[in-house]
Amino acid sequence: MSIKINDKYYAYSAIDDIKRKGEYGGAVTTIMKYLLEEGIVDGVVGVCQGYDIYDGVPTLITDPDEVIKTAGSIHCATLNIAKFISKYLDGARYMKLAVACKPCDAMTLRELMKKGNVIEDNLILIGINCGGTMPPVPTIRMIKDVYELDPADVIREEISKGKLIVETSEGEVGYSIENLEKQGMGRRENCQRCNLKIPFNADLALGNWGVVGELEGKATFVEVFSDKGAEVLNKVIEANLIKITPSDEEGIKKRDFINNFMLKESLNKKQTDYAGTTGDIIDVFYKYSDEFSRCMKCYGCREACPLCFCKDCCLEAEGPEWVPGGRTPAAPFFHLTRMVHMADACTNCGQCSEVCPSEIPVAKVWSTVNNKIRETYGYIPGMISEDSLPFTDHVSKAKRL
Amino acid sequence: MIEIKYVPTICPYCGTGCGLNLVVKNGKIAGVEPFKRHPVNEGKVCPKGNFGYQFVNRSDRLTTPLIKENGEFREASWDEALDLVAAKLREVSDEDPNKVGFYACARSPNENIYITQKLARVACGTQNVDHCARICHGPTVAGLATAFGSGAMTNGFDSIKQADYIFCIGSNCMEAHPLFGRKLIQAKKNGAKLVVVDPRFTPTAKIADEYVEFETGTDVALMNAMIKVIIDNDLQDDEFIAKRTRGYEEMKEAVEKYTPERASQITGIRPEVIEHLAIEYASADRAAIVYSLGITEHSHGADNVMSTANLAMLTGNIGREGTGVNPLRGQNNVQGACDMGALPSDYVGYRKVSDPETTAWFNDYYSGHGYEVNLPAIPGLTLVEMMNAAHAGDLKVLYIHGEDPVLSDADVKHTREALANLEMLIVQECFLTDTAQCADVVLPAAGWGEQEGTFTSGERRVQCLHKAQEPPEGAWVDWKIMEEIAVRMGVPRQLFHYESAEEIFDEIRQCAPIMAGMNRERLDTPEALHWPCTSVDDPCQPLMHKDKFAHPDGLGVFQALDHRGPVEKVDDEYPLLLTTTRILFHYHATMTRRCETLSNEVKTGFIEINPEDAKKRGILDGEVVKAFSRRGEIAIPARITEDIRQGIVNIPMHFVECAANVLTNSDSFDPKSKMVELKACAIQVEKLPEELEMKTEVYRHGTDTQIRAEEMSTTTVKKRGI
Repeated sequence: MSIKINDKYYAYSAIDDIKRKGEYGGAVTTIMKYLLEEGIVDGVVGVCQGYDIYDGVPTLITDPDEVIKTAGSIHCATLNIAKFISKYLDGARYMKLAVACKPCDAMTLRELMKKGNVIEDNLILIGINCGGTMPPVPTIRMIKDVYELDPADVIREEISKGKLIVETSEGEVGYSIENLEKQGMGRRENCQRCNLKIPFNADLALGNWGVVGELEGKATFVEVFSDKGAEVLNKVIEANLIKITPSDEEGIKKRDFINNFMLKESLNKKQTDYAGTTGDIIDVFYKYSDEFSRCMKCYGCREACPLCFCKDCCLEAEGPEWVPGGRTPAAPFFHLTRMVHMADACTNCGQCSEVCPSEIPVAKVWSTVNNKIRETYGYIPGMISEDSLPFTDHVSKAKRL
Repeated sequence: MIEIKYVPTICPYCGTGCGLNLVVKNGKIAGVEPFKRHPVNEGKVCPKGNFGYQFVNRSDRLTTPLIKENGEFREASWDEALDLVAAKLREVSDEDPNKVGFYACARSPNENIYITQKLARVACGTQNVDHCARICHGPTVAGLATAFGSGAMTNGFDSIKQADYIFCIGSNCMEAHPLFGRKLIQAKKNGAKLVVVDPRFTPTAKIADEYVEFETGTDVALMNAMIKVIIDNDLQDDEFIAKRTRGYEEMKEAVEKYTPERASQITGIRPEVIEHLAIEYASADRAAIVYSLGITEHSHGADNVMSTANLAMLTGNIGREGTGVNPLRGQNNVQGACDMGALPSDYVGYRKVSDPETTAWFNDYYSGHGYEVNLPAIPGLTLVEMMNAAHAGDLKVLYIHGEDPVLSDADVKHTREALANLEMLIVQECFLTDTAQCADVVLPAAGWGEQEGTFTSGERRVQCLHKAQEPPEGAWVDWKIMEEIAVRMGVPRQLFHYESAEEIFDEIRQCAPIMAGMNRERLDTPEALHWPCTSVDDPCQPLMHKDKFAHPDGLGVFQALDHRGPVEKVDDEYPLLLTTTRILFHYHATMTRRCETLSNEVKTGFIEINPEDAKKRGILDGEVVKAFSRRGEIAIPARITEDIRQGIVNIPMHFVECAANVLTNSDSFDPKSKMVELKACAIQVEKLPEELEMKTEVYRHGTDTQIRAEEMSTTTVKKRGI
């Protein structure tokens, strides 16, 4: 095997049709199609377009000819694919899947693997770089009000050089992402805090950052992070479906620069978001008690949280009734309970805030607490590691002789 | 291998019209996931949205027609059941079309509702068709049509986010319309002041800036006094009044006697608080009124509604974003049921029955293929009148399409007697509801998620539904059932045959100018379309009454109103005033009580009672007590809470085993809208002589045809003589 962990390449599809339809050379689509055709996986999980480019729909594909439907990125697909696999595909217990995943999808899948809720051996994680996703309806509104464009005319959006660029057939319009986000537009708040832009917790990570020279815009930067990833890339190259060239030094620098710049921005956002509290559970809970007091007990955060997968949830338990049935606004115990149950593994995927009808910034709250747990225990959720989860795993001090 | 797909559709519960994705796994609905692209709710839903799909594949779905013989149901073939129904409808309509009545289903898609009223009008020749809006927002339809010329919400939902001041009276939207409630939270974040006026300290009141409690049923007195204060302080919008309204002087005269002091005696609100409310409402640049059934479900419901209209016109708070009169429609498609002409006075698109030319148009439109339609230009009976006519023996056949009046109409005993008095009760349903158990023929219907069609939300947004799974084998789509009945009644099939729901909608567009512009291409999008939408290039914006009102002269009409108060007053024998409500986790009963998560959350009913009232009676929290009125008596667990005013008690209306409507009063009509007083009647609450356990698992194992009505329904301690 010629491909190994930490290898970096520029890759593009050798299949003309996919090269045309897929973004940046169509490498992801080609790999997925190959895995399905060869029977290496039973299904491919990706995101397809629903009504329009603002509507991302998680999709299980079992026909290789349909893989092309997942080509291209949908920046308004603010999904967590891990939930889809855990809830509707039995956590890949009965089938092998290749999953196109953003860093937060990969982080959540890693946590669920540790908890035994999804089966690691049955998953191939094809990671995709992500600078953040944008909520569909506010984005449509922003394109109308700020960009003064018809959202239906938009072909593409991207963040480049500090600007959010929106492209129509008439050309490009760009505004400072920093200014937009200060006014509550742009990426989701959790994305602005995100500490993983290149999914090095996946088997492979692909993206356009760092592709320079004549391949710019025509190829994808691929980095290998696991033996599984190396094997997949090797096979697809041997099958003459993907062409690779070693990545350019300057390209690697550029990719690092983009990554580091975004991580620095995230750090700033975190400092703002975590300000005014020690990060300890009780302190954070107290700080947000007014926000929590609006909770109508829709269970939306629990339903959306990929880490909440208990069949019998203690929030619904009949006795003892910590959170009495039918009482709204909900008892503060509702969120305190959830906080205790998932804060050590929270991947800042943002699903909870997105579904909250009472506009409680739940994702920010969990992230604040999780940050404190990181500082205290040193455990970083979502990575490939043998570290134990602070509140989940028992750590024995017994010496094995 | 697993097959899985997301089917975007619209929630089947309240009138907010939230979008959601049904997850279909191997052909069956397996869950709900956020539909973040939907403009109304952006992927957020309430508990009913999250868990309300769980009823769909219950084992107790009806899958075969049932015919009652000697008090017992037996299974029947579709042919036998349809022949029986058609023959009876034909026989009685030939004798006298006024002896036949139809209840349309406000949960059902527009297309089914349209066909229900068509079956009534075309096949039976009767105008007796109505639906539950009558006991929900009927007063809104009547009251706002009188004031503004159109009975619908004046603004879109998002408009509220631009308000400076929100006067929310008789609406507990955080429970009843939670995703509209979210917009109140957003409005507050934008700087709006939210004021909630309600006899109960509701979850909505709890998130408000100011809460004002008052006596049930004293809304007109409060608003008349507010109007007087506004005029006395010269805060009225003279230009708006002069240019856009009429009837101001008469209204001004009528409020003259409502000084804050006098209103204070009626409402229980301190005079200075009434002045404060009036001045703040009138001084805001953009003030919006939000109300719901706390305003309408009274014997003076239409007066209450018109009072809100008076306030809005007086201050020019209408026809602009962030203002308006915003009634929150109850059921998911109760707006649509009104729009579709399931009203005894209106054809589809609010075209008037009483106008001979309009009736002649419809007679002509519906005739053909050798079949002649000859409807009279005389409005038929309302829902409440039909039930009363049945009770009196003047109505012989009632066809109920997906409603459950035994649970939801006032005075259960009266309703049961009325239904028993019919020669034939036909119920078209998904489950054997309490009403279906009273039927002579039950027709199993396809439900939500199993058919295409459209729902119209409270902001007049007509949205496409999408079919996610096949109905259970044996259950039919409503409009197909009704086609077969019409044909068996001798109507040429061409008049009732459609290849798709879309074809029915095309006919609706032909009959209703307010929907004429709704082509499928524009309609089947997440944004969908609001009516009025008169042409395909109409932008169909939700804001109404921008430059003129919908009356022919373009003017809004003030109404001179007087406080009347509840028909039934409290006395020594019945010293507590009962109000009825909905709770967040249920929506009536048939669907939500069959959703495991929702049922686990709230298994049975309760009566909310103030600690002082409980103490006087020696009642402990959670204890099952006896509640009784002049109509009847129930056993019900007590919930002692400071959130309700002394002298007032509240029962959520969902629970048949302790049904609020055993106690409510059915002969307390609003003369202007035919509403009955569901939100006010006099009752007494007492400790029970011995401990009693509630039947809380009524739906746990499903109903089956072997269980008889008596075994399933209300827990009754003993019958009281009336």
